[in-house]
Amino acid sequence: MSESYEYILKTEHVRKNFGSLEVLKDINLSVKKGEVICIIGPSGAGKSTFLRSLNQLEKITSGKIFIRDELFLHRENDHTVDRLPREKQQELLLEMGMVFQRFNLFPHKTVLQNVCEAPIVVKKEKKDVVEARARELLSRVGLSEKADEYPSRLSGGQQQRVAIARALAMNPEIMLFDEPTSALDPELVGDVLNVMKELAGSGMTMLCVTHEMGFARDVADRVLFMADGIIAEEGTPEEIFGNPKVERTRNFLKSVLEV
Amino acid sequence: MKKKVFAVVCSLAMMLSLAACGSGEPAPAAQSQEAAAPAASAIDMSGVTLKSEGVLTVGSEIGYPPFEDFADDGTTPIGYDIDIATAVAEKLGLKVNFINTAWDGIFAGIGVNYDVACSAVTITPERQETMLFSTPYINNYQAVVLLADDEKQINSFMDLDGMTIALQKETTSDILMSDYKSTGSIDIQIMANEKITSCFTQLQNGEVDAVVVDSTVADGYMASSDAFRIAYEDQEEAEQFGIAIGLDNAPLQAAINQALKELEAEGFIQETYNYWFGAAAE
Amino acid sequence: MKAFDFKKYRKQIIAAVIIVAVCIILGVLKPGREALLSRTSPEMQKLIDADAGSSRKRVTVTYNSLLVISYASLSSSGANVMSERYVGFLGKVYRADEGAARIVGQMVNYTYRMLGCGENLMHGAKLTVLLTTLTVFFGVLLGTVLALGKISKRKLLAKISSAYIFFFRGTPLLIQMFVVYFTVPGIFGFAWRDLFPASDAEAVYKGAFTAALIAFALNSGAYCAEIVRSAIQSIDKGQFEAAKALGMSYGQTMTRIIIPQSIRRMIPNVSNEFIMILKDASLVFAISLMDITTISKNIMTSEGSYLVFIPALVIYLVITAFFGFLFDRIEKRFSVYE
Repeated sequence: MSESYEYILKTEHVRKNFGSLEVLKDINLSVKKGEVICIIGPSGAGKSTFLRSLNQLEKITSGKIFIRDELFLHRENDHTVDRLPREKQQELLLEMGMVFQRFNLFPHKTVLQNVCEAPIVVKKEKKDVVEARARELLSRVGLSEKADEYPSRLSGGQQQRVAIARALAMNPEIMLFDEPTSALDPELVGDVLNVMKELAGSGMTMLCVTHEMGFARDVADRVLFMADGIIAEEGTPEEIFGNPKVERTRNFLKSVLEV
Repeated sequence: MKKKVFAVVCSLAMMLSLAACGSGEPAPAAQSQEAAAPAASAIDMSGVTLKSEGVLTVGSEIGYPPFEDFADDGTTPIGYDIDIATAVAEKLGLKVNFINTAWDGIFAGIGVNYDVACSAVTITPERQETMLFSTPYINNYQAVVLLADDEKQINSFMDLDGMTIALQKETTSDILMSDYKSTGSIDIQIMANEKITSCFTQLQNGEVDAVVVDSTVADGYMASSDAFRIAYEDQEEAEQFGIAIGLDNAPLQAAINQALKELEAEGFIQETYNYWFGAAAE
Repeated sequence: MKAFDFKKYRKQIIAAVIIVAVCIILGVLKPGREALLSRTSPEMQKLIDADAGSSRKRVTVTYNSLLVISYASLSSSGANVMSERYVGFLGKVYRADEGAARIVGQMVNYTYRMLGCGENLMHGAKLTVLLTTLTVFFGVLLGTVLALGKISKRKLLAKISSAYIFFFRGTPLLIQMFVVYFTVPGIFGFAWRDLFPASDAEAVYKGAFTAALIAFALNSGAYCAEIVRSAIQSIDKGQFEAAKALGMSYGQTMTRIIIPQSIRRMIPNVSNEFIMILKDASLVFAISLMDITTISKNIMTSEGSYLVFIPALVIYLVITAFFGFLFDRIEKRFSVYE
């Protein structure tokens, strides 16, 4: 796949209703390859829903999603208007890795099996090839010695790092992080953020919903502030954290940073 | 299962009617046959004790045609035993009330839930130790029934060797065939059923080769279906059926015997036999 | 799975070895058939000799050997009703016509019959265990299919599964068995025993067993469907999402992620279902098969001995204990990761 596209991911007028509740009201976002974008905002703003809509864990109510400039999905009023063929969709979805707030590791499989599962089952890769790559990834997240443990033996921070390795094992082009440190004890947050920083440094395209303002300031190329289902403000970390233009952003940052 | 529920309902109805009426006129229970209230009888009833005054309460395992079965309405008992017991009660100047009961434990209920058991009960020496019997009101043999189109020759039970047979559990047929098998006289496979009707269904479906059953029951089946034929009747060891009465109720035994004697003399028993088993069978 | 931990079970193993050794010794010292029957009285012997020349035999010879103890009885039918009973234990033969010896003899005989010793597989405890284990096996398989159907997004499939479950849970097993054994062959014109070679004398039992197993498995499938469904639905939604985000199909998610995790959660309920079926197995009396309960009831009615229920209870408890232990092991095996 050559890099002949402009945006690796783009959304136009994405809306999402849960019944009569409008969670996303018109989200337009373009992501270039290699960009690291952090999405911040108060809870209930629709950040997670937006992220989950991108890899189809939620079906959007209306709007368009483009992947590599191709119209991946176009829906209006809860009906699909246009989309890529299923196989092509599936192929493009594999380019998106997802890390969940609650890790969601497979508890009945060892750390190594967790990482190897999808490449072997979904991509039909050879087991020894995958295992070698998995061990490499585990050492990259600092967990080589835990390969044969079950997830229940690991701390939350270690589990989240395994989850990152598991997503990376599919060789995605873009990684989605859904509040990856929110469920962790404070002293475990650092290890996970370090892995994410290292990943950002390696050129991975990343979309992170996060409450870690320090991380967003240090790592993000762009910060989006979401509130009430819209992107209320966006800009470089310096712009958002240094000189927020919108009242809501100011209030939010004030309340978060004061704690 | 249906029958068990039915029996419970009947005994409940009985209890209620007894409780409600006390010594008064007993209300007819669910199953009592409305025999015309008979005129005073000539038979001596002194010393007879009944569960319910003016009513002969009869225990019967209803579901053994043609001796006792339910009519098409599913609630009216009909059959040879039913007719005999009804006629006997009439002779004694009593109404009759049938209590449907499981064969297991039917004798335990005599004198407890009902006065007599009239349910194709074979008179045996063992049983005579624990209960009284009326004079026999029918003779019975063990018969082998085959499908009508099965041309096998059966000249004795020995010819059943190698066959698979069905019979009703805990009956004379069961005891006899089990003895043939356990002594090694013949090698047979026995399918023992709770109900005789299951045996005939098994024969019809081809699960078994033959049914061993009381000749009277076989006669009844032959009269109503031509799918089967009686291949052999064991004339040597006849059994006799009697009405079973509690050991402590000798006056009732005497009265019933007198009634049976009169019915025999009037030709009623023969007539009833012909009706249920066909005239040719006798 | 770790190797068997011998140290942890040392006491139990020693106890088991001692019990087995004692049984073997007592078993070796137990008088055999010849020893018991050598005591036969001359009168009885006369009848036995008479039988040799006639086809209609009169004497029933019974010999039951049960691990450490043996029992024999001779009884004649017809005009010369006679019976003799012997019990053999520790190298000695005891006359068992009355008193404690008689009760011991009866117990041996009842236990022997209820276990289905000396009979085919479709008899006594063997029948009960065989029917129950096969029913649970097929029931869980069928239940899994039905559960997947019921939670499926395909409406028709979900409706069919729900209807099936409704039907089989809403009607009695006894009637379902009647329908399978009596009605279905009646309509389609076949006999269950014809599924087996005509030369097989036991075909009739095997046929009835097949019909019973089909009815039991169809019925149990409906109950297991609910067990499997609730187990699947108890799995964290995050597991489905993680699998989906990794690109796994619905089938892959179910077979590789969800069902393996559900198994541990089903086991307590499947174990209950097993015990229910173990007891329901007595319904096979209705199609002429003899399980533990049926045999004990028969003995009670034919011999009037209420003692028969004691060995019956013991046999049931031993079966329940054994399978309870087995389910426990399986559950532990499937929860190593917790």
